[in-house]
Amino acid sequence: MTFKLMIPNTEGELQQELMDDEARILAGGTDLMVQMRSGKVAPTRVVSIKKLERLKEISDLGERIRIGAAVTYSELQRSHILQEKSPILLKAIRQIGSLQIRNRGTAVGNIANASPAGDAVLAMVLSEARVEIMGPKGERHESIESFIIGPGRTTLSTGEYIRAVVIEKTDDWQSLFIKVGQRNAMCISVASIGVLRKGKEVRLAFGSVAPVVVRAHKAERFFTREGIDGTKLGEFVERCVESISPIDDVRASSWYRRQVVRGELMKIFGHPDVGGTDVT
Amino acid sequence: MRINFRLNGETITTEIEDSMRALDLLREDLGLTGTKEGCGEGECGACTIIVDGNAVNSCLMLAAELDGTSVETIEGLTGSDGKMHPVQRSFIDKGAVQCGFCIPGMIMSAKSLLDKNDSPSKEEIEAALEGNLCRCTGYVRIIEAVEDAASIIREDRK
Repeated sequence: MTFKLMIPNTEGELQQELMDDEARILAGGTDLMVQMRSGKVAPTRVVSIKKLERLKEISDLGERIRIGAAVTYSELQRSHILQEKSPILLKAIRQIGSLQIRNRGTAVGNIANASPAGDAVLAMVLSEARVEIMGPKGERHESIESFIIGPGRTTLSTGEYIRAVVIEKTDDWQSLFIKVGQRNAMCISVASIGVLRKGKEVRLAFGSVAPVVVRAHKAERFFTREGIDGTKLGEFVERCVESISPIDDVRASSWYRRQVVRGELMKIFGHPDVGGTDVT
Repeated sequence: MRINFRLNGETITTEIEDSMRALDLLREDLGLTGTKEGCGEGECGACTIIVDGNAVNSCLMLAAELDGTSVETIEGLTGSDGKMHPVQRSFIDKGAVQCGFCIPGMIMSAKSLLDKNDSPSKEEIEAALEGNLCRCTGYVRIIEAVEDAASIIREDRK
């Protein structure tokens, strides 16, 4: 792990540094430091964004909330706007790493890292997040679902960086985030499920069960159109399962992951006592 | 690269390599070996230090990122008169220490919690320590020690 560290004072300088293909941005470092130590990535230049004050802002945009690239998970947890307006993001963040990790790690870093297991990514996918990207050709915006294209892969090109992410406020939705893992702290999920529900509308996303965090758009439309009464529930759950494509890995088998998703969805939507209202 | 920061109340100015970790600066250059390296990837918490009031893994921070901050390590907890911090005292009194390797990190996480909240619930203590692994004790006595330290701190403030 040997590199040159750059600490730009302005976003203009940051952009200059990023014109080098070998440069990597350091935000919280909770992923990058591990990847560099293991040799998975070996950038010749590391560019810290710690002096870019504007990237540390959380702003209320009315219907939406804008989160700067350097905002840590702990700062989000302390933010009144997030506490009031995005319960789903806070529920997901609570499941991330440990206090030490949340004190350094950033939500935008979770997007840039593009892990299929990203807990914050899952909540942001449910919140119809738009990624604000700056680059040599100016600013562009892209939905988080199209921005993340594979494990560790995004549409960022040379010279571009994520400046912020803008999420919808979802306080008028019931929200649920479930992470199935091998232990509580510091765990990478075997499968994670996020649900937002508002009457007949539902949003569903799954983590660790496909190359990227996936939204179950078809199942969502089925839910609104057909409901989940009687035999419809089983059909709805199968449509959810169709949206995932889990693999066998060190944490669990593909079969087990499908069963977990199926089982959790039946619990959430089919519990006889709660009639599918267990989404709080 | 030259950096300046506060370390256990003293001002430090030192020359560092760009790619040096905060953990290596403390242990190798400054000789503060109380901070331990366990996993080296942010899983175990043995390297926990407090930076600007927050518990962090020093194995995941660059030394350069300490520039301009205020850092506390386990070495800073015992006063110049040799009087231990309540958390240290309670860990001994409650038998929370076995092999001891995780303890500096455990104590720094506990101190960071108690600096912000001197009446934590058991759940809050568990949450604050969830990033610190101990393979000996089973955690029960560690949690009791933090509860004990909290009561001593509350008593001292009266």
